[in-house]
Amino acid sequence: MMTLTVEHLKAILESNQFPVIDIRLIRAFAEEHIAGSQSLPFRQEGWAALVRQAITEPSVVLFTDNPRLGTAAKEAWEQAGGTVVAVWDQGLGPWKQLGAATVQVKPVTVDELAHRLEAFSVIDVREPYEWRSGIIPGAKTIPLGTLSERLAELPKDRQHVVVCAHGNRSLTGAAFLAERGYTTFSVLGGMALWLGAGHPIDRWSID
Amino acid sequence: MIWKVIQNPTLGCNSFLIGDEISGQGVVVDPLAQVGVEAYILSAHDLGMQIIEVLETHVHADHVSCALDLTKELSVPYRISRHAPAVFAFTPLADDTRLHYGALAIDVWETPGHTKDSVSLILYDLARGLDPWAVLTGDSLFVGDVGRPDLVDAGETAVRLAALDQYHSIQRLMTLPDWTELWPAHYGSSPCGGIFMNRRPQSTIGYERRFNPFVHMSDPDIFVEETLRYLKPPPEEAESIRTANLTA
Repeated sequence: MMTLTVEHLKAILESNQFPVIDIRLIRAFAEEHIAGSQSLPFRQEGWAALVRQAITEPSVVLFTDNPRLGTAAKEAWEQAGGTVVAVWDQGLGPWKQLGAATVQVKPVTVDELAHRLEAFSVIDVREPYEWRSGIIPGAKTIPLGTLSERLAELPKDRQHVVVCAHGNRSLTGAAFLAERGYTTFSVLGGMALWLGAGHPIDRWSID
Repeated sequence: MIWKVIQNPTLGCNSFLIGDEISGQGVVVDPLAQVGVEAYILSAHDLGMQIIEVLETHVHADHVSCALDLTKELSVPYRISRHAPAVFAFTPLADDTRLHYGALAIDVWETPGHTKDSVSLILYDLARGLDPWAVLTGDSLFVGDVGRPDLVDAGETAVRLAALDQYHSIQRLMTLPDWTELWPAHYGSSPCGGIFMNRRPQSTIGYERRFNPFVHMSDPDIFVEETLRYLKPPPEEAESIRTANLTA
């Protein structure tokens, strides 16, 4: 493995040879990430197995903003038999200075959303059993795992707000859409805060 | 609430990662050098928590802290009591202030006695309710015991004054509701406590109100005399460890 300059990183990415795995928290990834990179936040347990499921190539580039995380993830992937082509642990700063492409998801609070509900297309990525607590009026229910199959239903000229139970899965869903050219927001705190604030819901009958 | 206790069973130390699930913001409290900076960084990441600040309940005399190293590595503020005689820069904690990390609120109460720079941190999950959920008492109130008053200055006058401070601090902590979880910095045979300290790392304010012998001493003079009577020999390295924690 070589010590990396940001120009090197760009060259590696442009070669399209190796997947870039962003190991930061999903929150940081959704806020802004390198276009084309994939979010697999590092964990001390079971992370390499998740990478193996998500990625077929054994050689990867790791992206983070913390050298300790970079080292730990590199060791974990190598222990699992993989190869780490490069670790970038200096975050997005130098990458953006280079003028390279990033993708962003903006946060939206439940109050902001309630105030301008008509302005947004709301996508609820929860599982069907979670709809019992009610859904935001007019929201489209698309469980996170089926989002990729239902892109045709989502017009590109609208602002999409993704919501889940607590605001974690919605980050994944929103980042997935943002990566594909959609303007996306993620609801902070999800339905827990929407319901907690007493905003209106449509009751959903499971039968 | 994001919550993880990281312990050193040998020294009987509790340290904490505490945060708000919605914003992912949180703090590390009383990190231990023997556990190491890396463990706190990786654990916070596992919990989905961004470390916003590192807090200490006091300048420790029984173990080396890694709070300063952690704050340097993460470029976040190091927070300790305004009374801490530290020689490095820190962001002071003052009495009756409230810190916010998303829906996690932490009230700072100065609870001197064990040291002049002792604080207790009262935790609230504002997404769930407005009442305290837990209190981190540092070396002020322990499970079954109270923090010893002699590790900073072992002279009799100083120890008596410190013990009197501790009495008032304990009385103040007892104004918290019964259900408040009690999480001290130490448990078991930690040298910072006395002979009554329990091996359980946690209790509640209500349980201590009923069964902690020092809480029952409503007369400050009796509290001071009893504290002095039960003092254990001080740990051998207390002074050098405290100095190390003050100078980094």
